[in-house]
Amino acid sequence: MINTIHSVNFLLPILYLFTFAIYIYDFFKDESKVYNTKRVLLFVTLFIHVLYLLLRTIEFNHPPITNKFEIFTVLAFSLGFAYFLLELLTDIRGTGAFIILFSLIFQIVSSIFIQDLVEVKEVLRSKLLGVHVMSALLGYSGFTIAAVHGVLFFLLYKDIKLNKYGLVFKRLPSLEILEKLNFYSVVIGFILLTISMLIGFLWLPSAFPDFSYSDPKLISVSIVWLVFFIGILSKLIAKLYGKKVIIFSLVGFVVAIISLLMSNLIADTFHSFY
Amino acid sequence: MNLIGISINYRTSPIELREAVNLSFDEQKKFISALKNNILKEGFVISTCNRTEIFGIPATSNVSTADLYEELKKFRNVENLNKNNIEEYDSHSSLKHIAKVASGIDSLIIGDSQILSQCKESFRLSVDENFSNTITRKIFDIAARVGKRAIRETLISQGAVTVSYAAIQVVEKIFANLEKKEALVIGAGETSELAAIHLKSRNIGKITITNRTIEKAGQLAKKVSGETVNFEEFTDHLYKFDVILSATGSKNLLVTFDDIKKAISKRRGTPIFIMDIAIPRDIDPSVKKIDNVFYNDIDSLNVIVDQNLNKRKDEIPRVEQIISEEVDNFYNWHNTLGVVPTIKSLRSFFEEIEHDELEKIKNKVTEEDYIKLEDMAKRLIGRILHNPTIKLRKLAEKGDNIDNANQHTSTLKYLFDLDNKPLNGKKKNGK
Repeated sequence: MINTIHSVNFLLPILYLFTFAIYIYDFFKDESKVYNTKRVLLFVTLFIHVLYLLLRTIEFNHPPITNKFEIFTVLAFSLGFAYFLLELLTDIRGTGAFIILFSLIFQIVSSIFIQDLVEVKEVLRSKLLGVHVMSALLGYSGFTIAAVHGVLFFLLYKDIKLNKYGLVFKRLPSLEILEKLNFYSVVIGFILLTISMLIGFLWLPSAFPDFSYSDPKLISVSIVWLVFFIGILSKLIAKLYGKKVIIFSLVGFVVAIISLLMSNLIADTFHSFY
Repeated sequence: MNLIGISINYRTSPIELREAVNLSFDEQKKFISALKNNILKEGFVISTCNRTEIFGIPATSNVSTADLYEELKKFRNVENLNKNNIEEYDSHSSLKHIAKVASGIDSLIIGDSQILSQCKESFRLSVDENFSNTITRKIFDIAARVGKRAIRETLISQGAVTVSYAAIQVVEKIFANLEKKEALVIGAGETSELAAIHLKSRNIGKITITNRTIEKAGQLAKKVSGETVNFEEFTDHLYKFDVILSATGSKNLLVTFDDIKKAISKRRGTPIFIMDIAIPRDIDPSVKKIDNVFYNDIDSLNVIVDQNLNKRKDEIPRVEQIISEEVDNFYNWHNTLGVVPTIKSLRSFFEEIEHDELEKIKNKVTEEDYIKLEDMAKRLIGRILHNPTIKLRKLAEKGDNIDNANQHTSTLKYLFDLDNKPLNGKKKNGK
């Protein structure tokens, strides 16, 4: 089985590269013949990726969340999967290349540096921790997809304002749709992050003897949660539209990245396992 | 094939002349009757605002394109129509030209999708007036197929090529669902009407018209199932509208920067699309500086029109390839025209012999044996004729050596005396 895992580990970046290539080709050329091919290729890539994650879990007897590079491959999958769901639900296909690019980068880094760890801390074998980490990663994937749509919104907004009718104008969906995609991604990301945080608050104190509510990672994630919470409320209650809502999601994304970097690289936290 | 044709179009003639030779549906009928007398034995007439064209097979070898032009001149009584206003076509160029017209690449606005249905109407009229036969009907088929393939297989009809349509293209990049949007049309002239009709055709939720003369606003509102608002107070209602379109003849600005600023703040930032297609402009262009206001005037919309026209021009070689394929198909078909009757005669010659010989033995064998013999005779003739039929047809369809095909056809006719129709295996004269 280990040989299969290594082969798929080598194959996955190639599959993501092909998928990205076909999405970017479609973005530039808009040819109907690749319209369905790209979706099928993304599906095949994700299917192989999920098998890979299952194989790793079975072979090494722990979910693939025990080191940064396992997290990266899960992140690559969750980004691709979240986009795939969004594409299926909305049938809007013009933005895929910009999201699959993130999957490609994470998977390349993961495939190069990933290690086959059999011996890990006992707590990392916990299923609840698996759900906690997976929902957090899917939540962050939602915020990433929202941010990508937010950036695309601004690009299109700028082009229409300046009466520039180039590639961005031709290929992207309308501003209203980009805003909707951004908002849906934020809401899905927010729900998943909330689930992850609830599991964390309820289960982590019993699992970690040195658990602390003043832990830097907990505080930083709470800030991220608060930013998105205010953003969602301002859209639903204050009926904010367009640019202002997008700005919230972009600020939230930047805060999320900064907090992740700071809490992982600088602060000392019980949350660090590797 | 001796197909001839003339075309008076936007390249050759000014609008006054095109109007003078334009034929209404009833006039086309009358003109076809005139042509049928002694000029064309089959053909058709196309007449639109940009072209009047006559094509057909001459009734006699003396008829030329000059006769078509003289007949049209006489029919419409147009004195100032001269040779310079006319494009003349012979057999090969006629067919290519008709295909070009049907595909839209010969139109003033390249890729014009209306021309195909106009061609089809002309073809239908020709059929209804008994002015078409085998060749012209095949030409109709080829032209219609070229038109359909051009739309299906190329981008020749894609993209907005008028300012109003270009504006709709921009609106659709801002709003996802026009059914929930409201539009205000300022002015009730021809341009406003056209734009309002475009908006209506895109199922915009509601259209409101305002005009100095309220009656005119009412008339246009009725046409597009919309409402009206008083011209003196329309600026107070600007915040209600997602799309504002202005096309009046006013010399002064009708909508100021402050009007739009107030409207957008009442809308909490929900975007407004403004299309000012008036000259001089009706809306202060500085409104484009306001957040969530998307302002377009004629110049900016013409950028889209030009882009789309260029894109359509790039598609012309692909359409020409389709035309070339279909013209080849036509000639393949045409080349078989002489061969098919010979094949039919040959087959009927053998079938007559078969029938005659079977009749002779009908009463000499049992019914069961007769059926077997009948089957055998049919198979025998089928096998004998298989190779000559296929080879002759292929030779004609290839079209590169039609003389060879004609020679083989003549040999067959001579050897089997096919010009004298056989009667039960015997010649008509009883020899």
